[in-house]
Amino acid sequence: MKVSLFITCLSDAIYPRVGEAMVRLLAKYGVKVEFPKVQTCCGQPAFNSGYWKEARATAHTIIEAFEDCDFVLSPSGSCTGMIHHYPKLFEEDAVMHEKAIALQAKSYEFTQFLVQVLGVTDVGATFPHKVTYHPSCHGSRLLGVKDEPMALMSNVKGLEFVPLPFADDCCGFGGTFAVKMSEISGAMVTEKVDHVKETEAEVLVGLDMACLMNIAGNLRYRNEPVRVMHLAELLYEGVKHA
Amino acid sequence: MSGTGGHDHSGGATVKERADLALNNDFLRKAVKFTTERLKNGKLKAMEEHGNWEEWRERGKQIRLHTIAHLDYYLNQFTENARANGVHVHFADTAEEAVHISLSIAERKQAKSVVKSKSMVTEELHLNHALESIDVEAVETDLGEYIIQLAGETPSHIIIPAIHKNRYQIADLLSEDAGEKLEPDTSILAGYVRRKLRQKFLEADIGMTGCNFAIAETGSMVLFENEGNARMVTTVPRTQITLMGMERIIPSWSDLEVMATLLPRSATGQKLTVYMSGITGPRRSEDADGPDEMHIIIVDNGRSLQLGDPEFQELLNCIRCGACLNACPVYRHIGGHAYGGTYSGPIGAVLTPSLQKNVAEWDDIANASSLCGACYEACPVKIPLHEMLIYLRRRKIEAGHGDKIEAAGMKGFATVMSKSGRFNAVLKLGKFGQKLVARRGEIRIKVGPLKGWNSYRVTPSLPKKSFRDQWGTLEAEIRGGLQEMAPDVKSRMERIVKERANGAGGHGHGH
Amino acid sequence: MDTNAKTHQQWLQEMEAESRSKQTRFINGISEKLRRPMVSEPPRHPYRGAPDFWNAYEWSEEERIENFTSNFKSAGGHVERLATMDDAKRFITEKARSLSAKYVIRNKQPELDALKLESELPDARVSVWNEETTAGEGPLYWKARAAEADIGIVMADYAAAYTGSITVRSSKDKGRSVSLLPTVLIAIIPLERLKTRLGEIMVHFDEGGRENLPAGIHFISGPSRSADIENDLTIGVHGPGVVYALIVG
Repeated sequence: MKVSLFITCLSDAIYPRVGEAMVRLLAKYGVKVEFPKVQTCCGQPAFNSGYWKEARATAHTIIEAFEDCDFVLSPSGSCTGMIHHYPKLFEEDAVMHEKAIALQAKSYEFTQFLVQVLGVTDVGATFPHKVTYHPSCHGSRLLGVKDEPMALMSNVKGLEFVPLPFADDCCGFGGTFAVKMSEISGAMVTEKVDHVKETEAEVLVGLDMACLMNIAGNLRYRNEPVRVMHLAELLYEGVKHA
Repeated sequence: MSGTGGHDHSGGATVKERADLALNNDFLRKAVKFTTERLKNGKLKAMEEHGNWEEWRERGKQIRLHTIAHLDYYLNQFTENARANGVHVHFADTAEEAVHISLSIAERKQAKSVVKSKSMVTEELHLNHALESIDVEAVETDLGEYIIQLAGETPSHIIIPAIHKNRYQIADLLSEDAGEKLEPDTSILAGYVRRKLRQKFLEADIGMTGCNFAIAETGSMVLFENEGNARMVTTVPRTQITLMGMERIIPSWSDLEVMATLLPRSATGQKLTVYMSGITGPRRSEDADGPDEMHIIIVDNGRSLQLGDPEFQELLNCIRCGACLNACPVYRHIGGHAYGGTYSGPIGAVLTPSLQKNVAEWDDIANASSLCGACYEACPVKIPLHEMLIYLRRRKIEAGHGDKIEAAGMKGFATVMSKSGRFNAVLKLGKFGQKLVARRGEIRIKVGPLKGWNSYRVTPSLPKKSFRDQWGTLEAEIRGGLQEMAPDVKSRMERIVKERANGAGGHGHGH
Repeated sequence: MDTNAKTHQQWLQEMEAESRSKQTRFINGISEKLRRPMVSEPPRHPYRGAPDFWNAYEWSEEERIENFTSNFKSAGGHVERLATMDDAKRFITEKARSLSAKYVIRNKQPELDALKLESELPDARVSVWNEETTAGEGPLYWKARAAEADIGIVMADYAAAYTGSITVRSSKDKGRSVSLLPTVLIAIIPLERLKTRLGEIMVHFDEGGRENLPAGIHFISGPSRSADIENDLTIGVHGPGVVYALIVG
């Protein structure tokens, strides 16, 4: 069984610690993760902005990077979701279309893989902190990742879970939206952080570093001391300390 | 109603400019937020109480898909049946034609006044303005519509047209109308409108309505409402004119049960609106009320542009419930007028450009979305609005109307991201470049591309080593301490791979 | 007047001719867009109506009464459970007296005739919709009678418990205005007409077909309401603000 990590460009460049946590955690379960170095970005910024020719170029790279593995897992529901758009992106190229469908079928978001494939809901972690959770839109709405993170968190010893008010609301990231419609995006992230503050949580956890970078950026801007983590990081840290 | 469309009263030439203005209007934001939140929660409660919501939603979608796929048959059937009921049916390709037919009827009837119940199609046509141009008074009779008509504005929400007004503003408007001071108390204000409009109903020559659904098999038109004004409009005046989007059709009354299950719950969380009326022709000769003469004008006005277009045909499935507006975080922050068209919110962002042939006229409206998918999740007939927004953006780019700088940027993005070596080189360059601006792992400057972003946030700087830089060391470390895989996990993984090869399994996409 | 009417007929005929020629182009345009010839045979519609599990859903009589009552009340309506039409008569006359109703209008239905409200309420003017003794009076007359009425009284043709709705069909003897223009509406629902689902009512309209439909079918689920001012609920905006449903039997 060949399991490959699709690190995503954001985690690769800015949050390598998320990839490290994933890889180390999975090693506990005998999963020997591979990292095909030819991978780059899923192409979502171009795709969502309407530049499909450009998106196709990067999608091509991703499809080839993962062609020979059995499972692809990534720390982002949004980038995994983008892979689900690949068949549409290549609908006029029969060969690539088929490859795109094959890649879609074997791509998993990290918690999906942990729960659905490995059958793990208790990693044996201890994390004695007050934690709240932001369910990122693409992971929860488009991939349907809703129960997996809750199951994993509920089995972490000492973790006090505080529900985030209006958790389902988008944080306002939206890729180029945050730049093109910066005022609306700013209003959305400000509201999201207001809700995070209401929970009085020490830690905000999520499954998508793009959204978390957005929320963390506003928290830092307002000098709020809330720690922002990917769930993989939280679980791995919890296992180390258990 | 000003009748000059939604472009004139919100300031700003672009969606972005109007949105920025709206964001600075604290009352507007609070009012819209409060009401959409209430409607959204009402819907969630109604869905839960009713149960099996996904099955109903799927059924609603299938009925709409089927009807639109056979629209020629059903529209023809509706027309023949409506005629057999004694209705005068008319067809209008464009807004101008629909207005022309409406005005001909009004002139022929020597009408002095028209009472209208809420209709988004007539908003599309700017019909009130046209009626006034031939000296026919057009009175909106839905309470919210009456209020915004007095204010000379257009609706900012499909279901709650005056969502952006507070009771004090409303009291001022109605006091001016009444010629006396009315207290800003909801029941006093509504009581005034009841008395005032009761007179208008009794005097009006023509009643004008929209149409929620048209039943092909019996030629009936169906209206959903809470106030009773649509019943007044279809019962009291001697002539009735109904303007109907050509896609409003459903085959049967049985199908209406499904729509009646989805529409009110999605719109307001009600099990059914207070009134649901099925009107089948003018009054029978022996009846003592109902209109003597009934006209139905079937309007295209850009709708057929979506027919046969695989990416947009589903747009015609829309039942105009407004659930996507209430679910949309962007709508909630900027309100309806910022969208600049008759229809606002996610449905408006897709519908407004789709109803126009000329891509060059498209505003930046499709960019006013973070693509969060809340609209799709809320839609009772599962229209993938979040994907349609991407298709619109693509069509604009393909038609050569993209932003030049952005296009250059995207080309650069593709060049870098199609080869990992280039990506790596850019990362190295970034790490070098950021030395000028990064302090303690953060970048706070507000210039260039970071201006908008850093007005609300702090940007993290690039760490010393990217993941790919670390991989060699990390891989060596984990290979050392790798555990044995549990046999049940191993066999599950093998089974999943095998099932996948057989075309089964799949952890699907949201639709 | 006569010549005017005639030219109006001519005008309508011209409009119709125009409409028919336009219809062909309009419908053909749709077929063209759908990239196939016009469909003339009824298409197979595999998803017609509610899902099967729903069509099998049925409440007992007690459940229907209970649910109708709670739904109608939560929409702001009033519900009375009465054993006989005599009780209904008592309820209506007491209500009319306590409200000091001066004008009452009712549909011309045998069940309502039998209540003899005209003699029971000597202080009120009770009009009977489209009654023959007033033959020759046109729609204007009846519009005025309904508009002035304090109370309108109708028999429900059906009711649906699941949504708390009353259904009234219009006819020569059953005015649409009677359930719309008065301040107070009283609707009597014979228990056997109280169904569980809306679909049990809709099916009659499909089965009866176009020729048997009245001009107006109205589902009424409480008093007229609006939430257009600051989302603050107001009752009685255009239609009756007070609605009584009397379940009899």
